Amino acid sequence: MLPDLRRLAGFLLPVALLLAACGGASTPGVVEVTLPVSVLGAEAEVLRRQLRRFMEEHPDIRVVQRETPDAADQRHQLYVQWLNAGASDPDILQLDVVWTPEFAAAGWILPLERFAPDTSAFFPTTVSANRWGDSLFALPWFVDVGMLYWRTDLMAAPPTTFDGLVSSARAAKQRHGLRHGLVWQGARYEGLVTTFLEYLGGHGGRIMEQGRVVVASAAGRQALREMRSEIHESGIVPTAALTWHEEETRFAFQNGESAFMRNWPYAYGLMQDSAQSRVAGRFAVAPMPATPDGTPTAALGGAQLAINRNTEHPEAAWRVIDYLTRPEQMLERARVVGQFPTRAALYDDPELAAALSIPPAQARRVIEHAVARPVTPIYTQLSDILQVHLHRALTRQREPAAALAQAQAEMQQLLNRVGLGIGGPPARR
Amino acid sequence: MSVSESEGLLRGADPIRGVERQEARLAWGLVLPAVGTILLVALFPLAWTVWESVHLHDLRMPWLGRPFIGAANYLEALGDPRFWGALGHTAFFAATSVGLELILGLGLALAMNRAFRGRGLVRAAILVPWAIPTVVAGLLWRFMFAGEGGIVNETLLDLGLLREPLVWFIEAETAWVPVILADVWKTTPFVALLLLAGLQNIDASLYEAARIDGAAAWGQFRHVTLPLLKPAILVALIFRTLDAFRVFDLVYALTGGGPGTSTEPIALYTFNALLQNLRFGYGSALSVIVFAITFGLALIYIRLLGAELTGSKR
Repeated sequence: MLPDLRRLAGFLLPVALLLAACGGASTPGVVEVTLPVSVLGAEAEVLRRQLRRFMEEHPDIRVVQRETPDAADQRHQLYVQWLNAGASDPDILQLDVVWTPEFAAAGWILPLERFAPDTSAFFPTTVSANRWGDSLFALPWFVDVGMLYWRTDLMAAPPTTFDGLVSSARAAKQRHGLRHGLVWQGARYEGLVTTFLEYLGGHGGRIMEQGRVVVASAAGRQALREMRSEIHESGIVPTAALTWHEEETRFAFQNGESAFMRNWPYAYGLMQDSAQSRVAGRFAVAPMPATPDGTPTAALGGAQLAINRNTEHPEAAWRVIDYLTRPEQMLERARVVGQFPTRAALYDDPELAAALSIPPAQARRVIEHAVARPVTPIYTQLSDILQVHLHRALTRQREPAAALAQAQAEMQQLLNRVGLGIGGPPARR
Repeated sequence: MSVSESEGLLRGADPIRGVERQEARLAWGLVLPAVGTILLVALFPLAWTVWESVHLHDLRMPWLGRPFIGAANYLEALGDPRFWGALGHTAFFAATSVGLELILGLGLALAMNRAFRGRGLVRAAILVPWAIPTVVAGLLWRFMFAGEGGIVNETLLDLGLLREPLVWFIEAETAWVPVILADVWKTTPFVALLLLAGLQNIDASLYEAARIDGAAAWGQFRHVTLPLLKPAILVALIFRTLDAFRVFDLVYALTGGGPGTSTEPIALYTFNALLQNLRFGYGSALSVIVFAITFGLALIYIRLLGAELTGSKR
């Protein structure tokens, strides 16, 4: 079995950087904390600027950025290897929203209560996704929500129901000769679960309720049937979408091939660039549709900042996190890379209105209704099971009802086996 | 005076035996580093994997500890339909791709065995696919089989064999096509070269004799070429079957095991358990099972090959 070269490189590179950093001379009296991040693009540029300002304000703390792979699962592997080995470096961790419970239950990150963080200003949904047991383990840095991108030149208003979505997509295809009506992420990966989560919420269903897997409910079956019929019956979604991730859907939409797209906020800024996008200025975003039984649902994503339990400088690490999650830094991130702030009050700030892709009031509504994926330490394994069965149903290898029933059984079995079935979290170290 | 020498004197053995013994000791001393290296490199990791496989070791759930759980990991694998599916896919892949490679490789070897101008060039050129890194080859084939704009779909559309572009990777049956084709494309040259070496070892006078006895081309192939080529065919089979059983990178790059898990081989499933889900115990149990299967296959082949080699010396 050959290891994938990219993974190998993704592992070796940070190790090399780590070794290089260890050899570096440190100035006495200055505490050094490390933060693994992406070092590419505008996002990295903003962060560099913010950290520079931070270090000017705090001459006793030096923040070193550590390059890590951009792909979420590779970054996750790297973190687990570091933390499992008890490394004290990196001090600060940028976590995907679904990792916090896992890292907290494993005892890898510090509870933040001792720093008395003020979470009242943050969206409650983003804060509760970072709680495990009775403690808060990470602060939400920016928030991602799934949204419906629609073409303003093809219709007057976006559909609010799934039936409306299908008929608008069909009409756009016929009237304007578009290749696709709607595109979403249907490959067998985490993105498929977030797409499904939004259809599920739109039909009034959930994946888990109080430690029980309930995905095979009537709402679940309807949601999955809806997705399947969009591909195989009404044909508004291309079959190729079953192999697509975020970027393939963005390419289809920005080439003007589709009337609708489900995607995260990152696509907005990129598609406004008329050098690469044919739909610049001709699209807008709206909440995902819903049936009368459900509510328009956005999957909650985004990044959190947490502290390595083995860090030698918890106080310094906290100061960095506290600084990066301040209103002015969030506004700057929104302005430069279009990321949604996690502080609710900012949505009344006129500066945000100029920075964001959609009217802040609307963004705020979408975020407030955003649905977190199940908050459990074994989320990734649960998701892996769900991905397989969803993909089987969508590729017509199984009937939706049977696929969901089996997914539910396997997920519940897994939860029971590791003692997370029903009730509270396990005892921490 | 060494112990063995005094033993030799005591037993009254002749000095030659003493020298032999000394040489034997020297030989042991000389191979010891090699044996030690093999133990360290091959057996130690294997033993470690076996040890892991009887323990619960989940990096994500350190609070569960690392208790000994006996055969639980193995039982879980044996009770998991995804494991049996993966095993079935691996066997299907191995049988189909190795079978095709053998037939095509034999054809190529026979062709290259003839004297023609530019033979050396052809022999070198045929190795090109084999020299391309598997992941690169996988991506290449993925692009060729892309749903829209892929060269395969375009060609089939132009020929009128397809009415609309086919999304190859979303049906189990069609997703196998690029996987198997890519493997056949990539490793047939290797099989062909092995068989060519075998062909060149066959004495030309045997063909002459066969011709004189009135054997036609098919008769010569059937009664001279095939029996004498058997050892080479077996060697090719061993290499290819064992490789095919551990297939990972090609599928990883081409289908990722999808749609669903329809093209997931056992190595990819193991990778998933080990590195995606970080279940070291369970993943190790899977690794041990894969090892046992390939080891068993190797034993069967070696037995066949050994019999064949001694048989052909008659």
